[in-house]
Amino acid sequence: MMGVFSELDSTVEAIEELKQRKMGDLTVFSPTPRHELEHAVHPPMSGVRKFTLIGALSGVCFGFWIAIWGSNYWPLVVGGKAISTWLPYVVFGFEVMVMVGALSTVFGMFYLAGIPRLTMTVGYDPRFSRGSYGIFCECAPEQLVEAESILRRHGAVEVRGEK
Amino acid sequence: MATLAHPDDLRRPNIASADIQLPAVTSYEQVDNEILAVLKPTKAWFASLMLAIACLGLGAFSWIYQIHQGLGVAGYNPPVMWGVYIITFVFWVGIGHAGTLISAILYLFRAGFRTTIYRAAEAMTVFAVMTAGLFPIIHIGRPWKFFWLIPYPNWRLIWPNFKSPLVWDVFAITTYLTISTTFLFVGLIPDIAVLRDRETNPIRRKILGFLSFGWRNTEREWRHFARAYLFLAAFSTPLVLSVHSVVSFDFAMGIVPGWHTTIFPPYFVAGAIFSGFAMVWTIIIPMRRWFGLRHYVTLNHLDASAKMVLFTSLVVGLAYMIEFFIAWYGGVKYEQDYFWNRVFGQWWWAAWIMLTCNMILPLSLFSQKLRRNPTWLWILSIFINIGMWFERFVIVVPSLSHDVEPWQWSSYMPTWVDYGLLIGSFGWFFMWFLLFVKQLPVMALAEIKEIIPPKMKHTHSHGGH
Repeated sequence: MMGVFSELDSTVEAIEELKQRKMGDLTVFSPTPRHELEHAVHPPMSGVRKFTLIGALSGVCFGFWIAIWGSNYWPLVVGGKAISTWLPYVVFGFEVMVMVGALSTVFGMFYLAGIPRLTMTVGYDPRFSRGSYGIFCECAPEQLVEAESILRRHGAVEVRGEK
Repeated sequence: MATLAHPDDLRRPNIASADIQLPAVTSYEQVDNEILAVLKPTKAWFASLMLAIACLGLGAFSWIYQIHQGLGVAGYNPPVMWGVYIITFVFWVGIGHAGTLISAILYLFRAGFRTTIYRAAEAMTVFAVMTAGLFPIIHIGRPWKFFWLIPYPNWRLIWPNFKSPLVWDVFAITTYLTISTTFLFVGLIPDIAVLRDRETNPIRRKILGFLSFGWRNTEREWRHFARAYLFLAAFSTPLVLSVHSVVSFDFAMGIVPGWHTTIFPPYFVAGAIFSGFAMVWTIIIPMRRWFGLRHYVTLNHLDASAKMVLFTSLVVGLAYMIEFFIAWYGGVKYEQDYFWNRVFGQWWWAAWIMLTCNMILPLSLFSQKLRRNPTWLWILSIFINIGMWFERFVIVVPSLSHDVEPWQWSSYMPTWVDYGLLIGSFGWFFMWFLLFVKQLPVMALAEIKEIIPPKMKHTHSHGGH
């Protein structure tokens, strides 16, 4: 069951009631991120940070390793100077940490958000990118009528069934 | 359309509280309609694009001529073997700094004035770094050998010298280009979805659908997006500071008078932010006028950014003064002679262009009246752009032409090939920027919508934003 709303507070109230009555999984659509919706949905914390940490650690290790290994493999011998030395190699460690860490963050975002997506799947309406809010409620067939009534009672401008 | 709703705001812009609002923007539909209206091509846009392409053509011709004739056609005159190409490289890397500063650092500091200008600044960053990246390749004379700088096991299994600042530069610039492009593109995804949903042409709709990765505006997408954006900003913040520090090492690691100094990294970073903001003004001020976006980039936004420019100008000015002071106080006669030659000798004209444009003229920004005068800010931005190019000229050329061995002191005069490539770099940069503003939203639709009060059924529900 899909409900389209034009007001933020109506959407929040509808989410709260649907959750209270355990009407099934909810997908909430919004033209812009809103804390009110996040509080109402009460989702788990984003796991992007794990990708960031793993990427950054891998990057810093690779950055130092490539510089140290490359210097030892093709030594440029200068009298009195070490073949490989830590201080200048901080540049490689840092830059590669940022590069791999940031790219793995983006990968994590894509993976967790389920994109790229080839089709819009059920329950998408172009109005959600303009100004409307939406709630897609995946409920059991016997709950359809109740879900529809909750969505309408809270001011949905359109309610429709989706398969 | 009114720029400011409350008369009190007129003289009280406030950066610290991030409380810069858009009172003349009232609905999400208005944001979409007004910002996406910029995408319609106009005659002035075509004329500007043609001019940019003509400049690029001059640059391309100069480069082809140089490749054919050899590097001798550039103005190099031993020992001045770094010239316009390296100056222009550092200039464009500096321009590229403001974008990431505005989008990342000011995001972390919650500075509200960034919201409407950061997209243009981010695009400017990507195109400026793309421009900068060309110049080391042009400078080496044999551009087909540039890949020797990249650390990979080539056919002779030779690896680059990892202790060379030039190799640090390759890593720093490559990382910066990758991350700034990623940051720009990730921020664009929700806005491309808006374009996709409004598009009626099926082919364009398909392309936009592909570029938006099937973004659906779900709470789940926004949650991971917001977290990823925060981490990207956190990565980009030290990256901004590191990149120009690494560029400054190209000079500071050399034992040349005027170069071998520890203040170069902060001095370069402040200068980069200063010049980058100036270029943001050069672009944004005409844009807000021509595209009717004055109620998005208000006088409060300009005022806040002017304070940033004033601050960085003071830092840069202090760095100039410290250089002179240390040359005198250090008691090294080569340094003293070099700095005297820089300001009162052979290169006085370049040094005084630098000092006037970067230190003296920006002092006008202590006046609030001038900070809120877009015409003056635009004129000042041109002076700052010129001044910052000359700052790099003053760093590069006088040091090399007047180093520790008097027998090899010489001069330097750029040729038409140098100037052609300099003009070509502006053509290349503006061509990309002009193409960008007509293809993708020049302001971040989703973020602007965030600062507009959403439609509510009840007036005091859920505490608002």
